[in-house]
Amino acid sequence: MSHPPDRPEILDSDHLSTRTREILTSRLSVSTAQPRTLSLRAYAILDALLPVLLPLDEILPDSTDIAMTVRIDAALSGPRDGWRFADLPPDAEAWESALLTLDDVAAEQHGLAFIHLAPDLRGALLDAVMDGQIGLEHDGRLTASQMKRWSGDLRGEVVDCIMSDPRIQQALGISSSLTGGDTVFQGFTNVGPDSRESFEPKATAPLLQMADSSE
Amino acid sequence: MSNSPLMKTFAETDIVDALIIGSGAGGAPLAAELARNGKSVVVLEAGPAFPATGHTPDEVAARELYWLHERLSAGTNPQAFGGNNSGTGLGGSMLHYGAFMPRMDARDFHLHTETGKGVDWPFGLDELLPYIERVESFIGVSGPAHYPWDPERRYAYPPPPANSAALKMREGCDALGLRHADGPAALITRDIEQPHFGTRHACANCGACHQGCRNGAKSGTDNTWLPMAVAYGAELRPGCFAHTIERDSSGRVTGVVYRQNGVEHRQKCASLVLAAGAVETPRLLLTNGLANNSGQVGQNYMTHVSTQVWGEFDEDIRPNRGYPSLTITEDMMRPKDADFVGGYLVQSLGMMPATWGQNLARSTTTRGPAFARALAGYNRSAGMGINGECLPRPENRVTLSDEKDAFGIPKPLIEHSYGPNEWAMHHHAARLLTQMWEAVGAKDIRVIDRAAHMIGTCRMGTDADSNVVNPVGRSFDIDNLWISDHSIFPSAAAANPALAIMALSLRTAEAMLKV
Repeated sequence: MSHPPDRPEILDSDHLSTRTREILTSRLSVSTAQPRTLSLRAYAILDALLPVLLPLDEILPDSTDIAMTVRIDAALSGPRDGWRFADLPPDAEAWESALLTLDDVAAEQHGLAFIHLAPDLRGALLDAVMDGQIGLEHDGRLTASQMKRWSGDLRGEVVDCIMSDPRIQQALGISSSLTGGDTVFQGFTNVGPDSRESFEPKATAPLLQMADSSE
Repeated sequence: MSNSPLMKTFAETDIVDALIIGSGAGGAPLAAELARNGKSVVVLEAGPAFPATGHTPDEVAARELYWLHERLSAGTNPQAFGGNNSGTGLGGSMLHYGAFMPRMDARDFHLHTETGKGVDWPFGLDELLPYIERVESFIGVSGPAHYPWDPERRYAYPPPPANSAALKMREGCDALGLRHADGPAALITRDIEQPHFGTRHACANCGACHQGCRNGAKSGTDNTWLPMAVAYGAELRPGCFAHTIERDSSGRVTGVVYRQNGVEHRQKCASLVLAAGAVETPRLLLTNGLANNSGQVGQNYMTHVSTQVWGEFDEDIRPNRGYPSLTITEDMMRPKDADFVGGYLVQSLGMMPATWGQNLARSTTTRGPAFARALAGYNRSAGMGINGECLPRPENRVTLSDEKDAFGIPKPLIEHSYGPNEWAMHHHAARLLTQMWEAVGAKDIRVIDRAAHMIGTCRMGTDADSNVVNPVGRSFDIDNLWISDHSIFPSAAAANPALAIMALSLRTAEAMLKV
């Protein structure tokens, strides 16, 4: 079982349309210059938060960096999904405020900036956010109920970033991008259980290797 | 509209017989029907014209098919918009809809008479059925040879193949003694020549219905009603955001001001049809202060209780493959042990990975390696979901917020909270679907509490004091203003709304032709 290469094999499939290939390929190389949406401080907090929310070491080889922080920061300045919770400010502002709230609470509770906390303390703070226990009642920060709402947006954004990444799709054996090429729209012939077609990827993620070997 | 002849165009100074705002299920059938009967018709669509071959299964990019003007969602069950309710582009929400096309249950037209709760429609299924059958026949709907809950019903196309989730749900129904069938799906399973459009290919089981159908198999308005409308002389104007409704001194509508490419335009009309959906239609009326003598514009916003239950199986399920929601049971339309009024439909669910992951992410608080493992379970996951009655409630409504959008128009605020009936239905469905999955060996079963679709806000009825439009969709206050979309539904009913919207659209067109 080999690790996914830098360029996932699904990108070379003739079951992929040119447009879809371009979309997926664009996610392989992202600019890591300045944050586009968040302040440097908030960006660093997000960067320290993502590994405790969703570590990818059991899915991708250690050397693979899918630049989640960069992509989420950029996505916050791009087209959004057309709605937001009325009790949160606009997305970019909500994310900035939420991350700074987390930092302030870290300093209050532990005397350290969030990015300097050990992973288990970062995780405990995130758990408290998701339970609606952490928030601040002043301008530019979010209340506990707002933080809880935002944590749903955070989780959703992370999942969008992950599940739309061709390296993750390859590693998890997901064929959802392979609906058909430009000239021949193949679709799927087999749609029932245990009927992977030859062009569909097999999972390579370490955590799925045991399950996959039973095929 | 690949094979349509050169489209007729109108000058802004022309007084067109009908100006229609919205090109989805509400606007398109009516546009075609009016044009076919010789009326001059212009359709304003806020979104672009998407070529079908350009659709992509990439879920992030495919959000271009969603209505992206920001809405504010409030209440104790704030609803997610975009997918499952609000589209943009020529074709409207039917560009991204799931094509699940059950008919409304006859009992759902008379829920108040039956139960003392909810609201009756001003007519029954017998009135709508001829239009329903016309819609099904014209756009193409697949279904089983024998429909257990309506033996008389016939579908023109055989069903697509059952995917893993559909097969698993069949097993679950069998285990609990429920009837099941291949559900009605608005897609074709053999190649056809669609009148006024051209070749539509058979469904290729690609599974990306919600991201836009690339080969014309899914029956939308973009490959059926809209090309027909154009063939009969209607003009479709994409990229036109309508915002101001103009009237004369007697209060009748004279035209609409819209923005296209940053420039304001005005189209004159003899009659105006709003077909912009249950949020944008009332928003237009509220921002213009129109047609609201009843005080009902924006009121009684409804959804469908759309609880989902997911499980993991030992087999390789690959939930992205095949038509996503083929198996149906209508056995819960009036369950004997119900502690709620109305009923719900159950469907099997396959799903694309980001959408599935979003549901997982937002319905749990798991994190760390456990979160990664849950996401890695995608290929072993199958789901079932319901669409159930949602009662009209005064606290659920669309109003104008204090925030302005890029056009300087107030963003809509949608308040949505479940009442006791919705919660009782949710819990009933969660129990039943969990039992079904347990019976067939699913593990890590997960219940997702969610609502889908949008219904109500410009209620149709016989009494001008408590309704916005009459039983054929005409405003009680302004006689050349009509509404043709799900905002006129008096009650939500259980069925997915697209079929009834299209049937009502044809019926309203007929009424307009008689004026």
